[in-house]
Amino acid sequence: MKRRTFLGGAMAVAVFGQGSSAFAQQPPIKIGMSMPQTGGLAGGGKASLLGIEIWRDDVNAKGGLLGRKVELVVYDDKSSASETPAIYAKLVDVDKVDLLFAPYATVPTAPIMPFVKQRGLLLMGNFSFQVNSKVGHDMWFNNAPWGPADSWAASFLDLAQKAGGKNMALLTADQEFAQNLAVTARDVAKKRNIPIVFDQVYPPNTVEFSSIIRALKAAKPDIVYVASYPPDSAGILRAVNEIGIGDSVKIFGGGMVGLQFAAVMSNLGSLLNGVVNYNTWLPEKSMYFDGTKEFFDKYTKRAIEAKVDPLGYYLAPFGYAMGQMIEAAVNSTKSLDQKGIAKYLRENEHKTIVGPIAFSADGERKETATLQAQFRGVKDKDIEQFRSSGKQVILFPDKLKTGELITPFEAARN
Amino acid sequence: MNKRSHSIAFWAGVAVFLIAVLTMTQIVRNEYPFFAGYVILQFIALAVAWSILGGYAGYVNFGTNAFFGVGVYTAVALFKATGAPLMLQIAAGAVVGMTLGFGVGLLTLRMRGIFFSIATIALAIIIETFVMNWRFVGGAAGIQIQRPPVMAPFDSYVKMLFFVQALLAVTAVSIARYIQNSRIGRGLQALRDDELAAECTGVPTLKLKLVACMISGGLISAAGAPAAMYLQYADPSSAFNLSYSVSALAMALIGGTAHWIGPVLGAILLGSTQQLLAVTISSEVNVLVLGIMLVLFVVGAPKGIIGLLRPRYRLRAGGKP
Repeated sequence: MKRRTFLGGAMAVAVFGQGSSAFAQQPPIKIGMSMPQTGGLAGGGKASLLGIEIWRDDVNAKGGLLGRKVELVVYDDKSSASETPAIYAKLVDVDKVDLLFAPYATVPTAPIMPFVKQRGLLLMGNFSFQVNSKVGHDMWFNNAPWGPADSWAASFLDLAQKAGGKNMALLTADQEFAQNLAVTARDVAKKRNIPIVFDQVYPPNTVEFSSIIRALKAAKPDIVYVASYPPDSAGILRAVNEIGIGDSVKIFGGGMVGLQFAAVMSNLGSLLNGVVNYNTWLPEKSMYFDGTKEFFDKYTKRAIEAKVDPLGYYLAPFGYAMGQMIEAAVNSTKSLDQKGIAKYLRENEHKTIVGPIAFSADGERKETATLQAQFRGVKDKDIEQFRSSGKQVILFPDKLKTGELITPFEAARN
Repeated sequence: MNKRSHSIAFWAGVAVFLIAVLTMTQIVRNEYPFFAGYVILQFIALAVAWSILGGYAGYVNFGTNAFFGVGVYTAVALFKATGAPLMLQIAAGAVVGMTLGFGVGLLTLRMRGIFFSIATIALAIIIETFVMNWRFVGGAAGIQIQRPPVMAPFDSYVKMLFFVQALLAVTAVSIARYIQNSRIGRGLQALRDDELAAECTGVPTLKLKLVACMISGGLISAAGAPAAMYLQYADPSSAFNLSYSVSALAMALIGGTAHWIGPVLGAILLGSTQQLLAVTISSEVNVLVLGIMLVLFVVGAPKGIIGLLRPRYRLRAGGKP
């Protein structure tokens, strides 16, 4: 990692030579984090890191923070929870970093929550899900657009009920994230008196879904809520394509991980059509804010060299936004005092390239900005098509909406 | 040196080590060495415990992660249900690990060699699936744990865990050393070389295998039990991670399995290399470095470090690996 940090720094200095003399007098501001660079979460981790690195280069080009250069100290946590406690202890006690960012995803983040709480440290969260709900740390701020725990299922069921859905089928992977979604989906369904006619939890690494999809089809549900991981998301859509899902289904999707990544999307191609799924950022006109376009111009160029997701919609802009929030907080409070920064982050709304962000008391978004979008007119084997608008029409939230739901699912598949 | 002075030297070494660890927890203020040191000590305990069955008896157990995860989740379940203190969690982990070891020991009645190894992998998957569906301990989503206040004379929980793990490592080493020098060790060596011949000459093979499985399993689970408090979080995919099996096996093989010091050396070498690489190279390259190290040792030093250091162990380690 040191080499990359060095190269990034060298590039910034070379391009923006005038800034370097000012940096020379003061030590850099160090931001420490672990990031999954090997293991199951590495694909997302690397894209997220690239977003953060682009922010670092931008902020250094502007003269750094408080006139000091920003430096990232990054270690690989191998996507594992057992690596992060030692890494964060080193970041804090040995490297003496000034600020901490969390690694991408819930599992590597969970073990460091009690640590930062005990030490009274600010932690900027990176796409973990409800990791602070039991710890209750008041200096935690998650960059992900999730919002309140039940908003995910609630927004999908809103769309489904508007389309006339009266009963639901649940298909979920037996893994951490999917089970979190399933629990909230069952709760919301119960509150709204939506009967669950099919509730199947399948083991991770399932590849063959035809029998499950047949059983699901036989239950004749109106709403099909799927919470799955990348390999199974592909398997489920293939099985649906072969067997069909029946005319009763008004809406299909919800929490399928993988359909946000360029490789999976181009691989599935037209099988995606009609699926309504969550997302975080999409190239629709309502999603462009100050600096969004410039960010993606830089990302697209650097993604090739860094060998990460060529689209980078899902994580990278939020890594950049995390930096932007820190930048605003440090510049406003004119200090690196973590309590002051936390107070600023809690009390203000922050302008970022992914839109305005405001936090509630638990450090999650006040309002959900998790998109529900429907795939339309997707062709096979073409990554570039996903760069144009209209391929994933935003249905939720209302203020970002760019179209209406096409229903039933079978009609939307064509 | 005769046997008696060997013993005196060993116990003196143990005492010096434990005093050094305790002093370190009182003097050093920076917490990082304890976080990293804990992991290395944990691997010493795992590698030594593994080699009791895998090295002395020659039954290659790929299910270290099953025993480790059982230790973790025994501690989690006990802590959540009763708020039991750390020592009780470890003791319970050891008991459950021994019970599981007894079951695995019975497997050896019918399975040997590669079939035994595959059965132990299956065991890990079965237990992981069970834990994934056990909502009380968090199921697939994992569970966050709040540590209780730390006990005197330690000023931080991690320092205490470091000392506790040092005790566990010393326990594992002492037991391994005892077994190696006792009738049990000689019996295990005999059954490793030729189980049928050993049985014919009156070695109680089943009894020995059960004892080895139970001790090995109990020690691995005991070493895993404090991990719940170390991470303050437990999830099935981390607790039952196959890397525990691979690391324990690799450490024992790199160090050499003919003598208790082998796995200790292997664990120190590989464990500290892993910790060091994680914070220096920190990318895909560190996985590659470990891979190359393993290949080099398998090719260049099939009897491990102790085989290189003291040629006489090559003779004693003869027979099947």
